[in-house]
Amino acid sequence: MRKPADPVRRGLDVFVDAAPQPQRSGLRLLIALERRPRGRRLLGRTHAIDQLANGLVAMGHYEDPVNAVPLGWDADAIAARGRALRREEGRL
Amino acid sequence: MTGARSHGRGRAARVRAIHADVCVIGAGAGGAVTAAELAEGGMRVVVLEQGPRHDADRFSARPLEMLARLYRDGGQTTTLGTPPILLPLGRGLGGTTLVNSGTCFRTPPAVLERWRDEFGLEALADEAALKPCFERVEQALSISEVTPELAGRNAAIARRGAEALGWSHGFLRRNAKGCIGSGVCAFGCPTSAKQHVGITYVPRAEAAGAQVIAGADVRHVLVERGQARGVEARLASGGRLEVRARIVVVACGTIHTPLLLARSGLGRESGQLGHNLALHPATGAFALMDEVVDMAKGVPQSFYVDEFAAEGIMFEGVAGPPSYVAASLPLSGRRHADAMAEYRRLAMFGLMVSDGSRGSVRALAGRPVIRYELAEADVARFRRGLARIDELFRAAGAREVYLPLPHGVEPHRARARDLKLMAFHPLGTARADAGPQHGVVDGDLQLHGVRGVHVADGSVVPSSLGVNPQLTIMALATRLAFGLLGQDVPQTYEEIACPS
Repeated sequence: MRKPADPVRRGLDVFVDAAPQPQRSGLRLLIALERRPRGRRLLGRTHAIDQLANGLVAMGHYEDPVNAVPLGWDADAIAARGRALRREEGRL
Repeated sequence: MTGARSHGRGRAARVRAIHADVCVIGAGAGGAVTAAELAEGGMRVVVLEQGPRHDADRFSARPLEMLARLYRDGGQTTTLGTPPILLPLGRGLGGTTLVNSGTCFRTPPAVLERWRDEFGLEALADEAALKPCFERVEQALSISEVTPELAGRNAAIARRGAEALGWSHGFLRRNAKGCIGSGVCAFGCPTSAKQHVGITYVPRAEAAGAQVIAGADVRHVLVERGQARGVEARLASGGRLEVRARIVVVACGTIHTPLLLARSGLGRESGQLGHNLALHPATGAFALMDEVVDMAKGVPQSFYVDEFAAEGIMFEGVAGPPSYVAASLPLSGRRHADAMAEYRRLAMFGLMVSDGSRGSVRALAGRPVIRYELAEADVARFRRGLARIDELFRAAGAREVYLPLPHGVEPHRARARDLKLMAFHPLGTARADAGPQHGVVDGDLQLHGVRGVHVADGSVVPSSLGVNPQLTIMALATRLAFGLLGQDVPQTYEEIACPS
């Protein structure tokens, strides 16, 4: 049986899937390279590409509550507080 | 509405037809406002929105997930040119007002003057005539200035720097009511405090009897003998829809309106359709402070510095959760990881340029291709702006400043390809001009040479504004709606909502 994808990878996959082609394929390639030491070295030769790849993978990393909560950001608490306030005040 | 009906057999049986007075295409800043005002004025209105109806209960405060859900192309629409620029556009009821920062400026008087002088738009640019339009929108959206407490510490740092330097600054006016500073305006406001048109004007339109259909992709505007006849759309739920109406208001936004008009064979006579694309290219800089900032606690865009506005350089607040910052930090590798470890002490501020560059949009295989080359004068604005933002952060006591440039490149040596840009506020691709040889629509926002087809979005705005455009678009839509109703714009919302 296939293991379920971890939440970090899932979030990044959803984001990449929403991109139009041919960007989508390009982003997948960048992410794959960024996750490998040799790929990272290759990307490091071009500043803009290096930052894009690094930023993409980092975005997935810090979307994960395990990494975001210690930095003071609890997305689930923010969303829950919002829902409670909307219910309480009858907001749309 | 005279009700829906199906006609024909087989494939044709899946064509649904609706009759209305007005068909509005798009439920963003322009379309929603036009639809609500017309419906409340007694017209039978159908609104067709390509995107979905969003449920605030599903707003998760997670940027990646919300980018995919609330933005066209997952927020990854990009211009072709040097440098490539990300151009985020909202999708669904509310359009880009759903995901913008909520900042509201009236059209600057100098811009209105330019519309009069350069484009012959005396009536459209009449400041006194626009005043009740602005007031009406401001009241409907509960626009007010952000308080220092709600603005948070990120804004306090920029304010400290601006005060130390003696630069002109202030707190921004926003369309928010009961905001608690969740810090995710751009990723779906979880408290529904932001008064985007999806929760303000769209419900008003529906309450007044308008039929709002989400997931309707309009393929053509129908015109017969120079008069609007309606539109044809494909429905996400399957089948096709025809709306028969003698007034069609196109409000698909600056990128998609020219595409719809072009494939309908409309608006091409002047040669201006899809051209004159103005943007506000922008970037963000970071500073490492000694104090805890927690930038995402508070209103991300709450404070501005307009000391250099006359040069086309505007600074506005920007901030976000760790994942957003991780994608924006102009660092990589170990330096990126080290800076992110200090996220709580990072401050961020944005730089926006009122561009002189002009781009274009056209369709390729049904998708927009956006071309935009950053002109040298705009690159020079970024050089000056980046140097100023560095100065601002250092005056505020920054320990280190991270500018969005390659390592070792000083602001004064930056080239276009060195800049890491996003852009907001696309305008001008179906611009208004009194002369049919120079513009796509006239001063009443009606297509030159076609009766009954109007445009009500950023595409008609003929020049860069230098400030956030949503209020301008909504005021112009208000003016259009009352023009179609043949009425003066009431001074206040109550005059219509509670007639005496």
